[in-house]
Amino acid sequence: MNLALLIPEITLAVFAVLVILLDLGVRQKTVLRSVALAGLVIAGGVTAAMWGGSYPAQFSNMLAVDHFALFFKLLFAGIAFLVILASADYVDKFARFQGEYYALILLSTLGMMLMAATADLISLYIALELTSISLYVLVGFLKDRKSTEASLKYLLLGAIASAVLLYGMALIFGYTGQTQLGAIARAIQSMPPSAVMDSPALLMGIVMLIAGFGFKIAAVPFQMWVPDVYEGAPTPVTAYLSVGSKAAGFAIILRVFFSAFGMPDWLSANWGAIFAVLAVISMIVGNVAAIPQANIKRLLGYSSIAQAGYLMVGLATFGFAPASSVLGQSGILFFLASYALTNLGAFIAVIAISNKIGSDEIADFAGMFKRAPVLALALTFCLVSLIGMPPAAGFMAKFYIFSAAAQNGLLWLVVIAAINSVISAYYYLRVVKVMWSGEAASGEKVPSSGAPRLALFICCLGVLLLGVIPGLVMRLAEVAGRLFAF
Amino acid sequence: MSVGLEHYLVLSAVLFCIGLYGALTKRNAVIILMCIELMLNAVNISLVAFSRYVVPTLLTGQVFAIFVMVVAAAEVAVGLAIILAIYRGLTDIDASNINLMKW
Amino acid sequence: MLANYGLIGLFFIIVALFSLSMPIIPIVLRYLKIVPSHPGPVKNSTFECGVETIGKTWVQFNFHYYFYALVFLAIDVLVVFLYPWAVQLRQLGLFSFFAVLVLVFIVVIGYVYAWKKKVLEWK
Repeated sequence: MNLALLIPEITLAVFAVLVILLDLGVRQKTVLRSVALAGLVIAGGVTAAMWGGSYPAQFSNMLAVDHFALFFKLLFAGIAFLVILASADYVDKFARFQGEYYALILLSTLGMMLMAATADLISLYIALELTSISLYVLVGFLKDRKSTEASLKYLLLGAIASAVLLYGMALIFGYTGQTQLGAIARAIQSMPPSAVMDSPALLMGIVMLIAGFGFKIAAVPFQMWVPDVYEGAPTPVTAYLSVGSKAAGFAIILRVFFSAFGMPDWLSANWGAIFAVLAVISMIVGNVAAIPQANIKRLLGYSSIAQAGYLMVGLATFGFAPASSVLGQSGILFFLASYALTNLGAFIAVIAISNKIGSDEIADFAGMFKRAPVLALALTFCLVSLIGMPPAAGFMAKFYIFSAAAQNGLLWLVVIAAINSVISAYYYLRVVKVMWSGEAASGEKVPSSGAPRLALFICCLGVLLLGVIPGLVMRLAEVAGRLFAF
Repeated sequence: MSVGLEHYLVLSAVLFCIGLYGALTKRNAVIILMCIELMLNAVNISLVAFSRYVVPTLLTGQVFAIFVMVVAAAEVAVGLAIILAIYRGLTDIDASNINLMKW
Repeated sequence: MLANYGLIGLFFIIVALFSLSMPIIPIVLRYLKIVPSHPGPVKNSTFECGVETIGKTWVQFNFHYYFYALVFLAIDVLVVFLYPWAVQLRQLGLFSFFAVLVLVFIVVIGYVYAWKKKVLEWK
């Protein structure tokens, strides 16, 4: 046991506690933001420094410190950093509770980091709940009726989903007698295939796991919470939810399904088929339901469902060709990184605009190009990236995922995804059109302060860089995608 | 007559289904929370039973069950806090009244 | 197998007879005039233990109780982890001792927070 490998997580926990304690004593609340940001920078820095080393499975095989985990830890630290920067003005709405806000963001980031690193069903469950419970509270932070209502819905549905997930875990534990992911894989492989096929316990368990994780990533039959929660939650939390929670869900799916159920090919083809079906309905429902939306947060909510669909194309690829294709796995990681930057960028622009004009309705964004040219330009760029048009990162991300799918005989899925991308262009461009050619409600400028502008700049720069020179991050993703030997 | 693994699993499955049914049909938020608790405890039963019958020398399932109980306590505490926050503004906890946002 | 069920059946028969005979005994005794009968308002009222309630019992509780419950819950959950640790204290060694100290410390911070936020004061 080597505690030094847990420094990023320990740092976050210590800083979360520190923020709470400081909040009790300090009057100048902006200090708290700096402390939280410092914690994230330290955690991210240490994680980056650990890149390249090789570490055996740690802590009684409960946590793995491999490149896959490190990649996601960096991603989560970056996401939380940008979210905290972006909420600089927004926290005035709950000024009394700033300390709790930052502490909870740090704690849920800690949960996400642990989710990416977990190698055991028990630690998986605890990490998942640490993330979720922090997010339940964050969603209700505005304390108005919509926000608490969204929070309650999220909590009730999330708790049901995690109970289903837990039942799946219990079945898998009962079937294999193991909770450690690698040991589960070995137990399955040591059984004759006919025994595995005849026993519904394992397959039932896998389906229940997919249901539980599907809730976290907002895949379609489990998506009903998304629009309400996205609309009701404070916008920075919505941004965090749409990016961090989703990435963590995909991290854990990749980890569990690769290390525990990846090996007999017919088994992985089975769950690959489930993900292919979920991908199709997620893309169609997400994109079609987004078209009539009038609220930008709801629109981005449905768009995030569709994006989860594109990502699940990658998961299906991963299921059908686990051994031969590294491109499938690293494509998902690249997509997550680019999606994180893009969606955060879009949300930060929305936060900056709607915080000043006091409305989330798309109609109120009319003529925004004249009132806030920089914000409107950035939002346009991010929406273009979400469609998947060059030179933005979204294009390369979709290119990697779809080409990997096409190479592994999932051409039909790629065709459906491409059609959906075209549908999605309609509603994204509708927002762009309103902003650029709509009649402004007033000629008044929309000012924005430094921290959100910095965050927005980082996001847009990241999106552009990932789109123009994807090779750099792709190499990281390939290292991270060649996963888990334990 | 001896009680075997199946009996515990059937009990667990029945409890889980009752909980799921209640969670999906009941309208009172507190009762929904109780149903969720029922589901989690059903899982605990099967975890402990699996642990006893599949790996009798280890305590994996029991330890898992302890963690589930602790997490469930935290979840319910947060859930009740949110219900209180709603209750202050709404005066009742009927989940069908929580309908400000529809899709 | 069948004998097992037979025992259970016998048990049920005895239970039924016993529970039937219990309410019958006082009636028989009353009929035989062994016990006197002096009904009064106090004797006729339904039996409840404890002090008689004042007002309706379906009152709403002050939601401050919720905070107390929450504060209690923290220590309650802590104890769940302390028990298995305490049983194996010697075998687990120094590392687990410090691990548990950290756990207790985090919960104590929760209490400090509750205290500073004036949750424990009755308003």
